[in-house]
Amino acid sequence: MLNIEKLNVSVEEKQILRNLSLKVGDGEVHAIMGPNGSGKSTIAHTLAGNPNYEVLSGKINFNDKDLLSMDPSERSLSGLFLAFQYPIELPGVTNASYLKQIVNVHRKHKGDKPIEAAEFLKLLKEKSLKLNIPMDMHSRFVNAGFSGGEKKKNEVLQLDLLNPDLVIMDETDSGLDVDALRNTSEAVNQLRSTNRSFIIITHYLRLLEYIEPDFVHVFQDGSIIETGDKSLANKIDQEGYAY
Amino acid sequence: MTDSKKNICSIIIAEKIDIKNMPSNLDIDLQILNDQISGHVNVTKSEIDPVIIISNLRKGNFNLNLNIHLNENSFLEMRDESEYNFGSKIIINTKMNKNSLFEYFRLNNFLETTKNYFNHEIEISSNCEFRDFNFSNGSSEMENKTSVSLNEENASYIGSGVMISNSTNSKSDLFINHLSKSAKSDCSFKTVSRGVSKVSYSGKVFVDHNCSKTISNQISKGLIMDEKAKISLTPKLEINNDDVVCAHGAASGKPDESIIFYLKSRGISHEQAEKIYVEGFLGEFLDKISNNEMQQKAMKYISTHC
Repeated sequence: MLNIEKLNVSVEEKQILRNLSLKVGDGEVHAIMGPNGSGKSTIAHTLAGNPNYEVLSGKINFNDKDLLSMDPSERSLSGLFLAFQYPIELPGVTNASYLKQIVNVHRKHKGDKPIEAAEFLKLLKEKSLKLNIPMDMHSRFVNAGFSGGEKKKNEVLQLDLLNPDLVIMDETDSGLDVDALRNTSEAVNQLRSTNRSFIIITHYLRLLEYIEPDFVHVFQDGSIIETGDKSLANKIDQEGYAY
Repeated sequence: MTDSKKNICSIIIAEKIDIKNMPSNLDIDLQILNDQISGHVNVTKSEIDPVIIISNLRKGNFNLNLNIHLNENSFLEMRDESEYNFGSKIIINTKMNKNSLFEYFRLNNFLETTKNYFNHEIEISSNCEFRDFNFSNGSSEMENKTSVSLNEENASYIGSGVMISNSTNSKSDLFINHLSKSAKSDCSFKTVSRGVSKVSYSGKVFVDHNCSKTISNQISKGLIMDEKAKISLTPKLEINNDDVVCAHGAASGKPDESIIFYLKSRGISHEQAEKIYVEGFLGEFLDKISNNEMQQKAMKYISTHC
């Protein structure tokens, strides 16, 4: 599904990623761990096409397409989804209206008709219930005044509504309390399938106890220094990155 | 009051003045003399809320001088949703007596080539509220002045202005004078400036020395969409009493690219992302409009002009 080859990326003229290579197959869950500043969020934003991240060299192939030649919106429509570490606030736009618009943009891309209001409301209720999101949250402006946990749940809700092939979760566990983490993880586990892959960026083992990864990669100085299975995450949790 | 039964009265101003469906609690007298329209509106208490819809259909400059008088316990809603295809000079003087409520909506389209002047002076008595909403797209030379005097206890002003400027110019001045205790004012101004637009806004709140328990909020924000577009926002506060809660803020700048990226990362095109962002920015304070019909019209105005 995803093949990153010798990727070099800089932010504000400072090189962050160095010769990074990573392959993600269909249905696989990859966890990325690493100390602050090691490049975890950089790979997430580079994959999503954030213009602040400059690709110096390298290739990214996503579902047999050259990802780097695609606009961020094209990447989303092609099945890539980034759950932001810091979701933005959008005053003046209600969450319901925003969610309906993103659903319709994806439907239009697939050649489907816009979703009817009643059908959307039913869908929103069903998906919100899974994440324990109260419906009145959707009449508020997007992420404005949301708690950290509400923002993260709203990211997972969008992921559930858009049905992407590749999901990148950038520290989705930060800001979630124990119950919210369990709810959110259960929702994510329900979305796991043989043709949907995940890249989960996290500092902590606790998320990976709910969402079991197939591979764990340790980032340092913009490269992967070690790859293993879940036991590697246990080792980091017990001994830190200086193991 | 705003969702109760209403009596819609039309004032159509063309080469002649046509007033339709004037209820018994309204006294409207308007005359045209040498291209100048002058007159008064007098409102008394009624069980049915009167709504005046002003339509400017003149094929030439529109010069209006209007005195509005709201008697005790009266209500008036006035709307102007006209297209101004020529110059205009509108001068309104309003006097609100005890317990009256006045809602004034202006949702107008102007041409880039005309000069338009508007001046509203309003005197507000005890337990009255003036709700003032103005949605505009600017013109070649536009001047909007509103001067509010909160003369007695519990007088209140709620105002919201939206200026969507596509290579047009406008200068808006708002003066709010707190002249009695326990009065409230809440005003917001939002603008988007494109092309070679010049938008300026100055909002001054004055609180007199005897005006304890004053509450005043003033916010102005602008988005500069193009290199040559300009916005100047100047909030001012002059407070002469310590027992007040007053806040003001102003900010203008280019669109936040992180918001555009977030929207694009959900599959929305750049053009549509910018539209959603700008519409949201301008619509942030639409909940101040409690009148559902007018809130919808204001949303439509923003959507059409963005």
